[in-house]
Amino acid sequence: MASRDERIREVGFFKNAISRPELGSVFGLIIIIITFMILTSLSGTFSAMWVRPIGIQAWVELAAFVGILAIGASLLMIAGEFDLSMGANVALAGHSFALLLLFGVPIELAILLTFIELAFLGFIIGTIVVRTGLPSFIVTLAFWFASRGLAVFLSQTFMNQSRLSVKSIIKPPPGGGEDPTLIDNIFAFDSAFGLPFDAEVYYFIILIIFIAYLLHRTQYGNWIYASGGDPVAARATGVPVANVKISLFMISTSLACLLGILTVMTSGASDPKAGDFRELHAIAAAVIGGCALTGGYGSVVGAAFGAFIFAIASRGINFVPFIDNNLFRVMLGLLILGSALLNQYLRDRVLKG
Amino acid sequence: MEPSIKFNKVSKFFGNIIALKHISFTVYKGEITALLGDNGSGKSTLIKLLSGVYSPDEGEILLDGKPVKFKSPRDAVSSGIGTVYQDLALQPLMSVTRNFFLGREISKGLSLDFQTMDNITKTEMAKLGIDVADPSQPIGTMSGGQRQTLAISRAIYFGAKVLILDEPTSALGQKQQLEVLKTISKVKKLGNIAIIFITHNDMHAKLLGDRFAFLNRGKVLASGSKKEIDMSNLRTLMAGGDELAKLENELKA
Repeated sequence: MASRDERIREVGFFKNAISRPELGSVFGLIIIIITFMILTSLSGTFSAMWVRPIGIQAWVELAAFVGILAIGASLLMIAGEFDLSMGANVALAGHSFALLLLFGVPIELAILLTFIELAFLGFIIGTIVVRTGLPSFIVTLAFWFASRGLAVFLSQTFMNQSRLSVKSIIKPPPGGGEDPTLIDNIFAFDSAFGLPFDAEVYYFIILIIFIAYLLHRTQYGNWIYASGGDPVAARATGVPVANVKISLFMISTSLACLLGILTVMTSGASDPKAGDFRELHAIAAAVIGGCALTGGYGSVVGAAFGAFIFAIASRGINFVPFIDNNLFRVMLGLLILGSALLNQYLRDRVLKG
Repeated sequence: MEPSIKFNKVSKFFGNIIALKHISFTVYKGEITALLGDNGSGKSTLIKLLSGVYSPDEGEILLDGKPVKFKSPRDAVSSGIGTVYQDLALQPLMSVTRNFFLGREISKGLSLDFQTMDNITKTEMAKLGIDVADPSQPIGTMSGGQRQTLAISRAIYFGAKVLILDEPTSALGQKQQLEVLKTISKVKKLGNIAIIFITHNDMHAKLLGDRFAFLNRGKVLASGSKKEIDMSNLRTLMAGGDELAKLENELKA
């Protein structure tokens, strides 16, 4: 017995180091930063991307946008589910919010109603997935069409246009920064404090800390992992798997709602193409960050690193003129494949006794 | 010896199929009752009656002398029936502690109280002879026998007075089977738990059983204590009485 224990401890130490789901993405982030630092140095654009505020803004704000969606994507993937409709829901939220403002609804109430609408949408999606047993890939694919379709249909019907401008109502930054209201302070901070980044960057940081705590340190987090790892075993031990999954779909649609509202607040308009393809970028970030599509494994911190990897590669390519832009997609594809392989290898190491 | 669970002429039907007919046997505290029978003998139905999945159509089940009717598996668990199924209901990628407390976590405020949960897990596992060096390890790193012990230990900690073990050794290698048998005998030594040990293995049944019940085609073929049962006849009883003799004759002919 004693000798057996020693062996477990030895293996355990090694496993502890490599069993963190985000490990692969930490290496990935370091490699991508070094790569682009070298490439921009060669192109003479190093300071444009890494020093000047406008260059930093470009990739940090993209990382925040994709990262907020990736939080929802990774939570769902850990619970063994999937949401393809996130990007479309950003547009639905933005259009709903803008339409309510144009109808004369006070801004506070419009925000509240939009959040209720999107949370209810998440409840519907989650309930369909849980009750019918259809794969969430299929169910959310339906909403990938339906949400954006509904957004454009509503704005065409009521306003006779597909892009909705609300500049006359909310005075977005930088023009509206002189006399910020409470709502400006919450949803468009750069207008209030003259901070270098858009509001989503701060939401991203706060959300990552909060959700990481929720996932690793609370009962709810334990239930999320169990629901994805082995739903039958989870139910047998008293975990309300169906409710956990429905609540996660509601979180996913609410995060899309937050981005929809932030985009309208900072740009003064709602675009029907808002969030287009961002669901795939968010899922890529979650996969790079170590989430397993089979469920039960992953981390939101890894997904955050994944979002930064995506954003640096995506924006960085513009600073490197000697590499073709289209080559970026090839790189990104290889990056996703490589990460998935690495993560699968690491996960197998954890499972083998 | 105090009787813990008593089956009194229990029957269960599914439509016109008689799954169990007039089953009577008694399980005592601090004893291991080996429940033996071939596939299709009604063992699974019996377990499901005990664990609250089904309720009997005839007869009654007495728990500590009082007749009980379980409305649901949850109801059975809160009455003190702990069932350890073959698949163990464990999460391979989650830690020992997280598995031990899954669904019944201890929190301090909003946060999980890992210090308390780790200590309880270590203490409870040590009672059954497993020294958990690091309870934050994923159980993927544990042996099959240790996982079995974890599932048993969890059931006992959360109040099982009757422990049902559904073929706990069938999916394991020889060495790990012995580990589990040791664990079961340690549970017996705790003294206050009645163990129902379901198995295919007559060696294991002989080794651990204080009392035996043989099921065949929905009926109790024989039941009794070690002294009352002809141990040399064990294998024949398990294979379904004189059916084996018949086969022997057929093969000879």
